[in-house]
Amino acid sequence: MSAPLTHTYEILLALGVLIPFVSFWLLVLFGAKLGKPASGWFAVVLGMGVSLVLATIVLAGWWQTDAGTRAQLTEDAFRWHWATVGEVPVTIGVKLDSLTVIMFFMVAFVAFWIFVFSLGYMSGHSDEVGGKSLYHRFFAFLALFGFSMLGLVASSSLLFLFIFWELVGLCSYLLIGFYFDRDYAYRAAIKAFVTNRVGDFGFLLGLMLVFFKLRTLDLDQAAVNFAQQLASGTGLFGEGITLFGHQISGMALATLMGIGLFCGAMGKSAQFPLHVWLPDAMAGPTPVSALIHAATMVAAGVYLVARVFRLMTPDALMFVAVIGCLTLTLMALVAIVQVDIKKCLAYSTLSQLGYMIFGMGCGAWIAALFHLMTHAFFKAMLFLCSGQVIEGCHHEQDMRKMGGLFKKMPVTCWTFFIGVLAISGAGVAGTKIGLGGFFSKDEILAVAYARSHQWTSYQDFEAGEHGGAGAAHGEHAVLPASGERVVRLAAYRQDPQPGSTETAQAPKSTYVWGNDDLRPADASAEDGRKAADGAGAIVHGQPGEESHAAAHTDDRGTHGAGRDNAAIFAGMRPLPKWMFFLALITAYVTPFYMMRAWWMTFMGKPRDEHVYHHAHEIPLMYVPLIVLAVGTLFASYFLFRPLLAAAAPEATAASLVLAFDGTSHAPAIHAAHGFLKWGVGGAFIVGFVVAIVIYGRGLGLAEQLSRALRPLHTLLVHKYYFDEVYEVVWIKGCLLLSRIARWIDTWIIDFIADSLAKLTAALANFAGWIIDMHGVDGVVNGISQTAQDIGGVLRTPQTGRIRNYVLWAVAAATIVIVCVLIFGSESAAATVIRPAAGLP
Amino acid sequence: MLTIGLMHYLVVAAVLLCGGIFVMATKRNAIGILMGVELVLNSANVNLIAFDRYLCRAGIDGQILALFVIVLAAAEAAIAVAICVNFYRVLATIDVDRATKLQG
Repeated sequence: MSAPLTHTYEILLALGVLIPFVSFWLLVLFGAKLGKPASGWFAVVLGMGVSLVLATIVLAGWWQTDAGTRAQLTEDAFRWHWATVGEVPVTIGVKLDSLTVIMFFMVAFVAFWIFVFSLGYMSGHSDEVGGKSLYHRFFAFLALFGFSMLGLVASSSLLFLFIFWELVGLCSYLLIGFYFDRDYAYRAAIKAFVTNRVGDFGFLLGLMLVFFKLRTLDLDQAAVNFAQQLASGTGLFGEGITLFGHQISGMALATLMGIGLFCGAMGKSAQFPLHVWLPDAMAGPTPVSALIHAATMVAAGVYLVARVFRLMTPDALMFVAVIGCLTLTLMALVAIVQVDIKKCLAYSTLSQLGYMIFGMGCGAWIAALFHLMTHAFFKAMLFLCSGQVIEGCHHEQDMRKMGGLFKKMPVTCWTFFIGVLAISGAGVAGTKIGLGGFFSKDEILAVAYARSHQWTSYQDFEAGEHGGAGAAHGEHAVLPASGERVVRLAAYRQDPQPGSTETAQAPKSTYVWGNDDLRPADASAEDGRKAADGAGAIVHGQPGEESHAAAHTDDRGTHGAGRDNAAIFAGMRPLPKWMFFLALITAYVTPFYMMRAWWMTFMGKPRDEHVYHHAHEIPLMYVPLIVLAVGTLFASYFLFRPLLAAAAPEATAASLVLAFDGTSHAPAIHAAHGFLKWGVGGAFIVGFVVAIVIYGRGLGLAEQLSRALRPLHTLLVHKYYFDEVYEVVWIKGCLLLSRIARWIDTWIIDFIADSLAKLTAALANFAGWIIDMHGVDGVVNGISQTAQDIGGVLRTPQTGRIRNYVLWAVAAATIVIVCVLIFGSESAAATVIRPAAGLP
Repeated sequence: MLTIGLMHYLVVAAVLLCGGIFVMATKRNAIGILMGVELVLNSANVNLIAFDRYLCRAGIDGQILALFVIVLAAAEAAIAVAICVNFYRVLATIDVDRATKLQG
């Protein structure tokens, strides 16, 4: 491949991010003038169309680039130094790797078709809020969301990832509450926003730990510093901190950091127990549900975990797995009893997000992201179908009133069916014939199986095979502070100049993906052979490319020692077995509730004449359905998975955990559990059959069942009473707290303030009366009064009569003369009277 | 035979002085007061000349001083008469007791 201009891809991606932003502002400023259809088309073309074109160009170029060039491009990616906070540089840039490229394309593609769908949707729906047309505002928000989501995916810095993270949260809030004059809509918007804040709080704490301990916010640099600090026992892995008198070791702190970052994902990806906002978010317009609450934004949490995978510790990852497992099971069960078509899909989304998070927690990095991709397509499509149904059925969302719609809505019916097949994981077991979910869910379960049932044997294998090597270039150290067993990498210790530029590159270069033994290229080739031989097992999409990548990585890694895989294996505990079984059982539940939803909506007899008669389809709405259906059918496995596998080495080069399905064990994982491919691969048939048996003849049997299982049914209908409990604990608790606070405010704070005020007033009175009026004023007035008095006394002789003056003068003169005569000395009298000397 | 000495002059001067003061104190007519002032000044002149003659024979200081007083008295009289004329113009009288315009 000819090497493209170094920064071309980055510039294209950056443009793809910024153009929707520009169109957002144009729509905000001039959207009202453009009017009803024009502003929508503007958003479709400029808001997302251009980005989609750019994304496609980048994807095509990236597809043709060989692994070495890709790695070079990733490494050379431009970082603009924006600011320095303390000593920590804050950079802006495009994170250019396979994951970004493919996520970017996925987001742009899905978003574009949902924008198109929105045109049709908004033409049939009221765009008036409070008596004012907000048509252009809807598309402005969509464009803003496009900007935020693409920015999130392309951001190279955790700080900017967080900023875009909050922006997508804002867009979600704005769009859920688009009809803000409707009570339920704004309530749902607030609920979504507040619940997300809870998760974001954890995210922020994790971000602070990254900032203060890893001393960077760049994704790559954070991973580098993480590995370095782990090796040298400094920074994050240093002395730890003392919190409330408890010593928290470095490893615990790292776990806290991982969990903190994951908390953000819990909020955004609506994981248990922060899942409550997502079903309510269906109050938003259906394209919004499809775009934000099914395909892209809620997947941002999974994307985040994938991005910070390198900063995870085994314990943090276990936490992720537990949360994911609980979510996927509990929410799938709720989906069974939902009668609102959108709510049913929402719970299905929750369950699938749980699968992704669970996959991340297991270490099925590739599989989880693969599931994200396939899910984005089919779930967006399913939501658009539901939007079409709701629109066609005169805003009816209750599936009990539908039925038999396949005649009226053939396109919707069959695209929905494709979605059902995809989410159920339909495919022919043992072959590569199947829909998206068939591969992705199977892979997650395969890794979960390996992690839960076979993990010790993998650990033993690694320890046996590489134990000697481990002793040579790795060692186990015991941290005296906590007694925690921390694995340190000897490679970093042996580095003669820690802190030199060589060390800064070291973690990147020392890492040899999946080939910790001495024959990397051979092993990879062997992988490829195994892949070919493996009885239908799912392996790396392009073995040749893989081996090239491995060889390349090895080239770069020659001057450093390999990561001690055995130590990492030893550090990760096996997954509890119940988690695997829950995920497996849910794989049977998923096809059941999806088939139930499809059957209730489209099959059987019409249950509501009014709804049935009204039903119709709009071309502008079903064209996107068809496109997404085609995408669901074909693009997923051959396009997405190889690129994800290519992204894995760099993005999962963690020091404490590993993406298990990317290692050289991947073929073994799939080969070792032959029964699984039948167990999972056949799940959809079982689920479908059960659903058709129960719902095939109307709702009668289902109602009987629900009566028979009343306690369970009630529990599920009430969604495990989460909302009620939150209402009592958090909302009521909050209100109680605020009442207490108000009481304190009224009776204590106000009392103190009032008393102070009174005291001040009294003091002021005292000061005014005593000091000012009688002290200061007294002096001033006294002086003037004295002057006046003196003047009064002095003016009495000033009569203005000459007589008086003459008299005064005479009297004075007389007195003077008399005085002189009486008291004057002899000489003085003499000078006056006696003749001068010499007189006769 | 009576010898006219210093004492006689002083007595004449004292009489003049007392007359002048009396006139000043009793007259309400501005011109009259002016005349009283002249009397007082001239009594002083008599004293100056007398002292010069009897006590300071070597010089004529007293006489020169008396000349100054005469000149000053003439100047003062001129001004005083001018004031009187203006006074009359304003109040149509020269009764000094009526000059109360500046009293608060």
